[in-house]
Amino acid sequence: MKFDKKIYTLILSLCLSWLFMAPRLLGQPVPGKDENITFLVTFGKLGETSWGDDDFYQVWFFAIPRDFTQQFYIRIFDPDTGGEHDEIQGEFNTRSLFSVYGGQGVDPDRNEDSKGLHNGLNYKGGNLLASRVFGGEPRYDNKYFTFGPFNPAAGDFNSKWGYIFKIVCEGISGDDGNLYRYYLSRDPENNIPIEGANAFTYEYTFRMWNDFKSVAHIYPYIDTGVIYIRLRDFDWDNDGHILVVSRYKQGIDAPISNEDDWAESRIAIEPPEVGSSLDFQFHKRQGELVKNNNVVVTLENQRGDALQFFSSPIGGVPVYQASIVVRKVKPK
Amino acid sequence: MPQIPGIFRSMLKKNLYIIIFFLTLSPVMVSAQQPSVYQVTRMSFSSGPYSEISPVMVNDGVIFCSDRRTTGIRSRTTFEDKRLYNIFIIERRDTSDWRKPVEIKSERSFLFNNGPLCLAPDGRTVYFTSEVETGKVTKKKNFVNHSGIFITDLSGTTLSSMRPFQYNNTQYEVGHPSVSSDGKYLFFASDMPGGQGGSDLYYCEWINGQWSTPVNLGPKVNSSASENYPFMHPSGRLYFSSNRPGGKGRLDVYYTMLTMGSWDTPSLLPEPINSPSDDFAFVADDNLQTGYFSSNRGSSDDIYNFASTIIRKSSCETLVPNNYCYEFLEENAVKWDTLPFRYEWKFGDGDRGIGATVEHCYMGPGQYLIQLDVVNLITKEVMYNEKTYNLLVTDVEQPYISCPDQGAVGQRMRFSADSTNLPGWNIDRYYWNFGDETIAIGKEVDKTYLRPGTYNIQLIVSTVPEPGGVVREACVCKNIIIIR
Repeated sequence: MKFDKKIYTLILSLCLSWLFMAPRLLGQPVPGKDENITFLVTFGKLGETSWGDDDFYQVWFFAIPRDFTQQFYIRIFDPDTGGEHDEIQGEFNTRSLFSVYGGQGVDPDRNEDSKGLHNGLNYKGGNLLASRVFGGEPRYDNKYFTFGPFNPAAGDFNSKWGYIFKIVCEGISGDDGNLYRYYLSRDPENNIPIEGANAFTYEYTFRMWNDFKSVAHIYPYIDTGVIYIRLRDFDWDNDGHILVVSRYKQGIDAPISNEDDWAESRIAIEPPEVGSSLDFQFHKRQGELVKNNNVVVTLENQRGDALQFFSSPIGGVPVYQASIVVRKVKPK
Repeated sequence: MPQIPGIFRSMLKKNLYIIIFFLTLSPVMVSAQQPSVYQVTRMSFSSGPYSEISPVMVNDGVIFCSDRRTTGIRSRTTFEDKRLYNIFIIERRDTSDWRKPVEIKSERSFLFNNGPLCLAPDGRTVYFTSEVETGKVTKKKNFVNHSGIFITDLSGTTLSSMRPFQYNNTQYEVGHPSVSSDGKYLFFASDMPGGQGGSDLYYCEWINGQWSTPVNLGPKVNSSASENYPFMHPSGRLYFSSNRPGGKGRLDVYYTMLTMGSWDTPSLLPEPINSPSDDFAFVADDNLQTGYFSSNRGSSDDIYNFASTIIRKSSCETLVPNNYCYEFLEENAVKWDTLPFRYEWKFGDGDRGIGATVEHCYMGPGQYLIQLDVVNLITKEVMYNEKTYNLLVTDVEQPYISCPDQGAVGQRMRFSADSTNLPGWNIDRYYWNFGDETIAIGKEVDKTYLRPGTYNIQLIVSTVPEPGGVVREACVCKNIIIIR
């Protein structure tokens, strides 16, 4: 009896410690855990934009805090195109190039091209630290590939965000959709987070959920001087609603695009929202389920400067705070 | 008799039979009176054989008119052997005694009648009554000189820079000026053509640096008898004297008030201010607690002081009706024209409302829990109690007058202070001033008005003495209209 009790207590303790440890074990995932997005998507360059990728590449930045001096790794989950997760067009024939950059030319604050917003410009700025082409490789299907180790000092130093590294995924051939995720980790074999690190992009191409109830989120950061934002979304297939939420906005219903189409909306920013994150919520259309919907989102301020989406929202996930005002009125 | 020149005096003579008739009625009327709310005292500076009339209250004294002699050598008189009136000022020596009157001199002193008068709000401009003609013609024995108003500057005890009022006329009387406390209106008496009969009250408005054409106060104030000695009190009450029928006898003091553009039916001041004799030239302080008037109830025209036992506050807050109506709004939601949300309010009293902005009126004071549920119209999710708010609905902290806004003459009306909301006050007394020189004490009282008009009711509450002997007091007022 006593033995049973000890076993029971041990199992309970292990469960509890796993529960507490679980978020840490996830590392710095991209998409982030608060984003509730299944996969990033990049199509082979022979794909059609109506399938949900406007430019067939995707650029992400990792920011390593300045006080972190150990080596780290960038892990890619399911980097190949084939097998599980990926979107087949006919038969799998796509090759994707993943490249990691560091050094001068990476920091998007100093190199506008590095943001990767404009096709044909030099979004590969910086020193190439590592790269690899993935085709249909069962070895990496539903598994990890790890880049690194990297030394933080090999990044491009930004006084605000720390050492910046860039990873670019290009669909260099074929027409299938490569669905993948990134993890920033201190360990080559496990996902162990770097405290204070983050990841961001200026153009987010991702896969929407294949169910009605799941809501995806992305979290743009509203920097100093922003008066309004211009939200642009691509190839939404009229699949539901984008609600813009902040502590002061319960949910502005932003217009969404249709097939192979851009939609744009302008949303005023209130002064208290500056220096915090917004929550763009992507609600699926109810009724007939739109499956395998890949979409693109970008954001600009009133001057046309691109704003960042952070995988881990700066300042935390914004939660709307209702505010009741009561005042006396004359009886009617 | 007061100084009532020419036609004024003849009007009084014509109405003598009316006065005699009412004098015969007076014992009956007096017996019906309640104990008087005024105490009157003849002023010690009123001389025996001479007349003192038309007091004007100044900082620490009284300006008045008198035909008293100022020198033992010569006594100035008119052709009718009436002594001339001149202007004097007397200051208080202390609370019970007065100094010697000092004459306020002008170029007209001892040549013409001077007074009655009034002081403009600036305290130095004097409007006074005198005679219009000053040339040789005035020396003819049968010449009838009419009174007019003159404007002059008072400096010490000297009047200078005299200029005539533009509506003086050699054909009729103009006199007895009274300037309103805001300086915008000049009231006066005149028997100019076009009046209601006898002497009437008129006013001019100060527009673009001059007095406008005189306007007759109309038949509600002016009668076929004579009205004169107007005094515009800062409260808006216009006091005047009239020898119309229905008074206590001869000249009596009445008051009226402008309500929504028309003058109320004048009310007669009670005894002992009014008497079977001539009672006139009433003036009072801002609180209507004390003042002066003239009367010939003694051997000659004298100035009397009155002190009211009625409490009437000069500063009294207008009653704020209790209001239990509120607007509720979701502050962030109202900034946007369309949001995919529905806002459902529970007001805490069983009622509900829908919208980013809603209004609701509660039945009365209380503590109410406001709950806001929000329905996401996209996800159909209901966020219950998205926000709550504790609303404390209270009555306004004030004494409270509960009574009808309107009543009729002769109707018994209930006045209640039950809804008074003064937390922490141990109220000892509820004092009602009904605005018609009557009072009552009690939390709930009844009152019957005898005359139509608009009455300003004051409710004054006071506490039992608190530690240190402090008695707290609060006053609210409310107008009610009494119709015939």
